[in-house]
Amino acid sequence: MEKELKDRSRRYLNPYLGGVLLGLVLIAANYIAGRGLGASGAVKSVVVAANKVIAPAHLEKNAFYAESIKQHPNPLKNWLVFEMTGVLVGGFLSGSLWGRLKLKVEHSPKITSRKRLIMAGTGGVLFGFGSQLGRGCTSGSALSGMAVLSLGGFITMAAIFGTAFALAYFFRKNWI
Amino acid sequence: MQARVILSISIVGLGLIIAAVPQNTTHPYKLTVSQLLEEAKGRQQFFSPDELADKLINKDPSVQLIDVRDQDDFEKFSLPGAINIPLTDLLNDKWKDILDQDVKMNIFYSNGSIEANEAWMITRQLGYNNLFVLEGGLNYWVETIMNPQKPASTAPNEELARYDFRQAAGSALGGGGAIQLAAPADQGRGAKPALIKKPGKKKASGGC
Amino acid sequence: MGPLVVNGIISENTNLLLAFIIGIGFGFVLESSGFSSSRKLAGVFYGYDMVVLKVFFTAAITAMLGMLFLSLFGWLDLDLVYVNPTYLSSAIIGGVVMGAGFIIGGFCPGTSFAGASIGKIDAMVFIGGLFIGVIIFSEGYPLWDNLYMAAFKGSPKLSESLGLSDGLAALGIILAAIGMFYVAEWAEKKFPREEY
Repeated sequence: MEKELKDRSRRYLNPYLGGVLLGLVLIAANYIAGRGLGASGAVKSVVVAANKVIAPAHLEKNAFYAESIKQHPNPLKNWLVFEMTGVLVGGFLSGSLWGRLKLKVEHSPKITSRKRLIMAGTGGVLFGFGSQLGRGCTSGSALSGMAVLSLGGFITMAAIFGTAFALAYFFRKNWI
Repeated sequence: MQARVILSISIVGLGLIIAAVPQNTTHPYKLTVSQLLEEAKGRQQFFSPDELADKLINKDPSVQLIDVRDQDDFEKFSLPGAINIPLTDLLNDKWKDILDQDVKMNIFYSNGSIEANEAWMITRQLGYNNLFVLEGGLNYWVETIMNPQKPASTAPNEELARYDFRQAAGSALGGGGAIQLAAPADQGRGAKPALIKKPGKKKASGGC
Repeated sequence: MGPLVVNGIISENTNLLLAFIIGIGFGFVLESSGFSSSRKLAGVFYGYDMVVLKVFFTAAITAMLGMLFLSLFGWLDLDLVYVNPTYLSSAIIGGVVMGAGFIIGGFCPGTSFAGASIGKIDAMVFIGGLFIGVIIFSEGYPLWDNLYMAAFKGSPKLSESLGLSDGLAALGIILAAIGMFYVAEWAEKKFPREEY
């Protein structure tokens, strides 16, 4: 029973089928809203919204926030925020369907949980920073950009995966 | 393995189809014919020479003149600040940013008003906003602004004031020195055209 | 004729509801493809699990083909679909920073939300990091606003910059993607790992 449960939780969708489904989701987003998917923009909206509540004066002084609030006067009533809320729900549904709901830190046996969490946090900071600089992350800029043949999307995609491959050797202990 | 080959071939096949067919570049019409007829009947697209002269003298930045005659005519004579988009070249993609915008009032003009009106109808039907036509075209412009007819001295004051304005405007736009103008006289239509902001075309922002 | 929102066929509020539903689809597909596991994601960089590459490129070519066909049938006006603007310097440098974040953190923003939704604590910490990264960028914005705005190229398409039609560019990308899929299958056999 135990074994069977574990097996089920390791069963994933065929990657090509998953890709086609993801492509269909992306088409739906473009057909309905005229825009691709995204993730980091939602984080930015939440940051802007928090700032609006905590320090509205500061918000106006900062050119980056000011521009953002001008485009979206109500930062939480934003397409990406709704979409990412949906991602949490969708992920949870799939996780419960396959029996993968479990609070845990996933890490290579060669490193401790603590080290994994430090690395995850560091990676998050870098990704958060890079996604703002690059105007979008893997989903917003690279995937959605490639689907509409945006030159910027291909450049960002190449830079992300190129760098990650180049650095892979130095971080191999974290993963294998 | 077999499935993979079949899938590869079919997706390449779809790719070949999409590469072989011509791109769909048709621009859908945004206005129905009756909507357009309604607008044309109201003659709301017409800008009178007096209104235009007033805007040009005040260097109103919201005015963009578009000369739809061909290049030769444009080089011989054009109104100040006009750009040349020959009617035959109207649908060229490079003009799209100029024609489809919500910052300026585009005023088409030609010798008469027929060609300008044709340009107006086409672009209007594509759903572009803030488009106008110079009433009577250049011919009427020259007649009224450049060489205004002095009305009889018995004419009503209104008409005399309009003549003064036209004469002053004509010499100002003809290269004369700075002339202090009285407020422009009767403007024909009461309502001033206002800029219309594009409704739906809010581009998504912020990328990811 | 799509896009529905831009053409005013559905309202802004309906759009937000549909965004939520699209998000559910997005999250469901990410999770069931295994994108909620950082070790599965990182596999692409060591060859033991190429799921990222397979899903990513299959999705890109599916969406690309789908939208070109929708446009061909006159159901979608591609002129109204948002094309990301290209700022060359920030796209490259931002991409490099994100690449480093990917190999160190093991997630990207979308997948970290999928991971967090099934209880991965490392994904939650990654999301915390994302917030800090965004705040650092915004607070220090005057320091890099020149870089952020540099080398603006408009919103060109790959096809335009190569002088090809959209369809031909798409065919090229499909061929490249299929090539990569075969390499990926080969790599998974060459660098296999049973448990990770």
